[in-house]
Amino acid sequence: MKVQMKRICRAAARPLLALTLLLIAGCTTVQPWDRDLLADKKMSFNASPMLLAIDEHIYFSKEASMGGMDAGGGGCGCN
Amino acid sequence: MRVQLEPAKAPSPLRDALHTAALTLLMIPGAAKAQTPPAADHIDFTNLLYGEQSRTQVVEPIVRFTHLMADGQSISAQVGLDVITGSSPTGALPSGSVQTRTSASGHVITSPAGQIPMAPFHDTRLALEGEWKKPVSRYVITTVGGHFSREKDYQSLGVNGKISTDLMRRLVTITVGGGVSHDSVFPVGGTPAGLSDGTIIHTGGNAKDVTNVLLGASRILTRRWMVAVNGTQTYERGYLTEPYKMITIMGHVNGTPVGELTDKRPDTRNRTSLLFSSVYHPGDDVAYTSYRYYRDTWGVRSHTIDLKYRHDLGGQSYIEPLLRYYQQTAASFYTVGFLEGAPLPNFGTSDYRLGRLKTITVGGTYGFHPDFMAGELTIRGQYMRQSGDSSPPNAIGIQRKFDLSPPVNVFALVLGYSFDY
Repeated sequence: MKVQMKRICRAAARPLLALTLLLIAGCTTVQPWDRDLLADKKMSFNASPMLLAIDEHIYFSKEASMGGMDAGGGGCGCN
Repeated sequence: MRVQLEPAKAPSPLRDALHTAALTLLMIPGAAKAQTPPAADHIDFTNLLYGEQSRTQVVEPIVRFTHLMADGQSISAQVGLDVITGSSPTGALPSGSVQTRTSASGHVITSPAGQIPMAPFHDTRLALEGEWKKPVSRYVITTVGGHFSREKDYQSLGVNGKISTDLMRRLVTITVGGGVSHDSVFPVGGTPAGLSDGTIIHTGGNAKDVTNVLLGASRILTRRWMVAVNGTQTYERGYLTEPYKMITIMGHVNGTPVGELTDKRPDTRNRTSLLFSSVYHPGDDVAYTSYRYYRDTWGVRSHTIDLKYRHDLGGQSYIEPLLRYYQQTAASFYTVGFLEGAPLPNFGTSDYRLGRLKTITVGGTYGFHPDFMAGELTIRGQYMRQSGDSSPPNAIGIQRKFDLSPPVNVFALVLGYSFDY
């Protein structure tokens, strides 16, 4: 159990470091009334969820890697 | 919940003043509540047509219903069907003469001289997914979901959830989530013993459990630029072997195949991935870029770069070219084949997807709102080319003459239609 926790902590260390750097990076403030462009649907990180899901399914079945975008998702025996 | 607004129009002092006043009002809780969108229903339909040259063909229609409620909640349900036919490499090596063998599913496989052996297959997969999204406060959104999928030799049942919160006056969004899935693998013809000649050890199912955790953050940097980083950790436990793949035993004199053994992989796999994303709005266009680093305990390391550029054509139509580059190292137990008489390792696979691999994808999406019907139509076409290690260093004898990992050419066409009703 202790070893497993150590592994989880070690695995989480880099993402946490990256998140911290991301949060403290940049001191500009974008006011709410300046977010008209950002509020547009096409400014989303995942503007086409179904197309992304199809792409992820294709790449999962043809490559050894996965992950990065979301938690969960439908299982598949294709790889 | 992010407020959806119209895109920027030509500057005008009056419009700017009204714009500022409206957005300022939206910062007041009471006023914001009055601006919540009305209830609506939305349908997305896509159909994937996928074809690998001389290999697998897939047709995959998916339909997704989403019910948006006035209080910002949404419930969605999705049904997908994959119809898969064609053939895939068995993992075995070519021979200087015609090879014939019977697969686990009873197919007689004949492979021409000098070509990698392929096994025909046919399968249908049904996948059901559901999701419930609920804002629990002005700054916090929770999402829970579940899935069930079933195919001839595989079943998956899982749940997932995540919570996102906006911080620093909504400049930063933090997301924490996770999912668990209980899968079952029941190979056609029974489960063969690993690294055996195909001896069946049982005919029941084999459990595979997957746990996934996600930690992500996105940040608004400027009026036109957002960045995000997502870290995911996946733990897989149970039957992770590919029961139909084979490994050739190479004759120690000239590398001629003298036998085959089944695939065997470790029963644990921990995957770590770190994804950096950026969305930038130069002028009227949008540039999407991302880089993903991936590693796992099987020794695979990979780098993925994904670029998309959306250019609005006017009249609610757009074109979005895409380019993706992927490369991976081989799993530590990947081998082109075993040498006759040599001691066997604990694990082994010749599945090219666990070997050294590069993938390049080019394509594009065209989206438009047709005059004759409501909603948006999208057409995405893409070409993918995979290339592996054609002449691996441990190939011997006649195997050096053959292309042991011929390029895989894939064409995919996705037709999409979305509308509110």
